[in-house]
Amino acid sequence: MYRAAVIGLGRMGSTFDDEIQQGGTIFLPYCHAPSYVASPHTELVAGADLHAEQGAIFAERWGLSAQHIYSSYRDMLAAERPDFVSICTTARHRAAIMKDAIEAGVKAIWAEKPITLSLAEADDVIDLGARNGVAIAVNCSRRYSPFLSEARRMAQQGELGELLQITAYTECYISHNGSHAIDTMRYLVDGDVNWVFGEMESDEEAAGDEDLRGNGYLAFDNGVRGYIRAMSTGTAPWEFDLIGTEGRVRSLANGTDTQYYRWVPGGLRDEGLPARAPFPLPLSIQGTGLSVIADLVNAVETGSDPHCSAEDGRKALEIAIALRESHRRGGRRVDLPVDDRSLRILSVEIGGDTVPARVRRLRQEPVVA
Amino acid sequence: MPGKVFRAAVIGLGRMGSTFDDEITRGGQFFMPYCHGPTYVASPHTDLVAGADPHAEQGEIFADRWGLERGQIYADYREMLEAERPDFVSLCTTARHRAAIMIDAINAGVKAIWAEKPFTLSLAEADEVLELGTRKGVAIAVNCSRRYNVFFNQARRMVDEGELGEILQITAYTQCNLSHNGSHAIDAMRYLVGGDVEWVFGEMESDEKAAGEEDLMGNGYLAFDNGARGFIRGTHTGAAPWEFDLIGTEGRVRNLAQGMETQYYRWVPGGLRNQGLPARAPFPLPTHIPSSGLSVIEDLVDCIETGRQPRCSGQDGRKALEIAIAMRESHRQGGRRVDLPLADRSLRILSSEILSDAVPARVRRMQSK
Repeated sequence: MYRAAVIGLGRMGSTFDDEIQQGGTIFLPYCHAPSYVASPHTELVAGADLHAEQGAIFAERWGLSAQHIYSSYRDMLAAERPDFVSICTTARHRAAIMKDAIEAGVKAIWAEKPITLSLAEADDVIDLGARNGVAIAVNCSRRYSPFLSEARRMAQQGELGELLQITAYTECYISHNGSHAIDTMRYLVDGDVNWVFGEMESDEEAAGDEDLRGNGYLAFDNGVRGYIRAMSTGTAPWEFDLIGTEGRVRSLANGTDTQYYRWVPGGLRDEGLPARAPFPLPLSIQGTGLSVIADLVNAVETGSDPHCSAEDGRKALEIAIALRESHRRGGRRVDLPVDDRSLRILSVEIGGDTVPARVRRLRQEPVVA
Repeated sequence: MPGKVFRAAVIGLGRMGSTFDDEITRGGQFFMPYCHGPTYVASPHTDLVAGADPHAEQGEIFADRWGLERGQIYADYREMLEAERPDFVSLCTTARHRAAIMIDAINAGVKAIWAEKPFTLSLAEADEVLELGTRKGVAIAVNCSRRYNVFFNQARRMVDEGELGEILQITAYTQCNLSHNGSHAIDAMRYLVGGDVEWVFGEMESDEKAAGEEDLMGNGYLAFDNGARGFIRGTHTGAAPWEFDLIGTEGRVRNLAQGMETQYYRWVPGGLRNQGLPARAPFPLPTHIPSSGLSVIEDLVDCIETGRQPRCSGQDGRKALEIAIAMRESHRQGGRRVDLPLADRSLRILSSEILSDAVPARVRRMQSK
C-alpha cells in the first residue's frame, strides 16, 4: 500500500466526480481523492491547501482527521512522507510544487494538466524527475479511456490498416483542455508531431500569453496528418476521428458514443465501402482514476513510463505553443521542437486563481440545507 | 413545357460526353441522366443535333447510341459550330483544349456552354474565357455536379434558411488530384459554406510534385470570408471515401461514402451537464428528386432567359482552380498562408485527365482489348 496525498483540494482534487452523471468520457472513480480511497494500491493519508474551506470539505468528505490537512504543502510533504502525490492546484504553481515533491522523495506524481505554463518549467520538472527516478503521470485522462485505449490497440495491431488521418473537433483553450485534445491525437496516432500550421482566434490573442482558441494542421512523423478545430464546434462537441486504410474509429459527443467502421467489399464500382461494425469492448472497464493509479504503481515498480507521461504533457504544451507561433509568424509552418523555451501559455484555469473556483462559488451561492 | 427547344451539340464524344451513365448502377452521388449526351436527349428543353470529335471511333459510337446521322458528326468542332449553329454546347474534351474551344464556341454565337471540369489549366485561360463570355452574354456552367445533387442542394437550403445555425466548419475527405476531382471537392466546400475563400494553407504530397505543374494530391486549410473554416484531405482517405461534413451551431450534415449516404444531426436538449447533444434526425428530402443533368439544363435555360449566373458558374470553376493552385503555392513557399486572389495568373495545373490525351481513354481501352 502506497501512502497518497493530494495538494490542491478543489474540484479535481476532491469532488469533481459528484458532477458526473453519465459514463463514457470517463468512468468513476475519476478524480484524485476518490481514486486513492477506492484503489487497493493506495491509502489516502493527507491533503494540503492554502484555503481552509477546501481542507475542511476534503477532510469531512474523505474521512481524514484535521491534523492530516495542511495549509503548507511543504509541511505536508515533510510530515507525511507520501509515496504518491497528486497536484491539483492551479497550473500557476504546478512546476514549483512538482519540483518540491520530487525533492521531498515521492515515488510518483499524478499531476493535473496542463503540466506547466512554460516549456522551460516543463524541461526543469522532467529533468529533475528523471534524475530522481520519479514516475510522473499527467491527467490527460483519455489515455485511460477504455474506448480510446481500444482504438489505439486496434491501430497498433493493424486492424485499421495504415493510419492516415486524425481529426479533432474539440472546442477549448489550447493549453487548458487543448492539452487533452492534442494529447489524444498523439495517443491515437502513436506518432510524434514534426511540424504544425496554426490559426488562432485573433491576432491580439496570438500576440499575448493568455490561453486562447485556435485551429491547426499537424504533420506526424509516421505520415499521418491531423486537423484540430479548437474554435467553437457547435453540433460536433468533442469528437475524435481516426481514419486508416482498413478501418475507422470515431469518438463522438464528448466521448459518449464510439463508432467503428471497417472496409468491406461492395459499393460503387465494387471499390469497397465503409460498413459500421460493433465497437469492440475490452473484457473489463474500471474507473479512470484506478487505471491511472495502477499505471503509476507499475511505473514505480518496473521503471516504465506512465501511459500519459510528463513527456507527453510537455509535448501537448509544445504543440499548442507551436500552433500559436505559426499564427504569430504570419501563418507559416513551425517545426518542432520549439527553440525558445521561455514561451508559455497562461492556461485559462489560472484566471482568478487567488481564490479557488469552488470557494468563489461557495461565497456567492447560499448553501441549501 | 417550354416553348423553345434549344439546339444542343457535344464536343468531345468520349465517356462524359456520351456513355458515362452506363457505368453507374446506383444513385446518390448523382441521378440519371447525368452526363451530356443522354441529358440533351432526355431534356424537354433541348434537341441533341450534333457531335464533334477528331477520333472517328468516338463519333460512330455517339451517333449509334444517340440516334444521330453520320452527317451530324464532325471531326472538326469549328465546322460543327459553323454548320449546326447550336444554342447549347457541351465541352467534354480533354481539359488541355477546353479554353480554346470555349473561346471559339463563344465567338460562334452559342447561348450556353456546359463545360466539364476542371474549367481550364491556367488562371489566365480562365480569365480570358470569363471575360469573353461575360462580354458576349453567354451562360457558362461548369459540371461540378454536386451543385446539382439533391442532397447537397438540401444541405445548402438548410444553411441559407438558418437550420444549421451559424456555419463553423466544412471538412472534406476527398482523395483526388487537386485540379481533376479536386475541382469537385473544393467547389462543393464553397457551395455548402456559402462563402468565399480568403486565404489557404496547403501541404502537397511531396516537394517534387509541388515544384512541378502536374496535377497532384494535397491537403489544405481554407479560411472563408464568412468565418467558416475548411479542412480538405485530398491525399489518401482510406476508410473515409469522399465525405463532406458541414458543421453549424444548430445542425450538421454529413455526406458519406461517395454520396451514397447523407446524415443530418441537430442540437437537442440533454447530454452531459444538460449542455445539449447532437441527435440524428431524418435527412429532409424534397418532394421530388431531380436528375443531375436535367437540373443543369434547367439552370442554363433559366440563365439564358434571365441573364443570371448558373448555379455552378465559370467563376466558380475559376475559383476552384485558384484555390487548388493557392494550396500548391502555400507548399512551394515553404508552408505559409497564401491570400487570394493570386497575382500570378500564369500559374496552372496540368489536370491529371490530360495525361496521354492524344488518344482518348475509351479508344485506348478499345485498342487494348
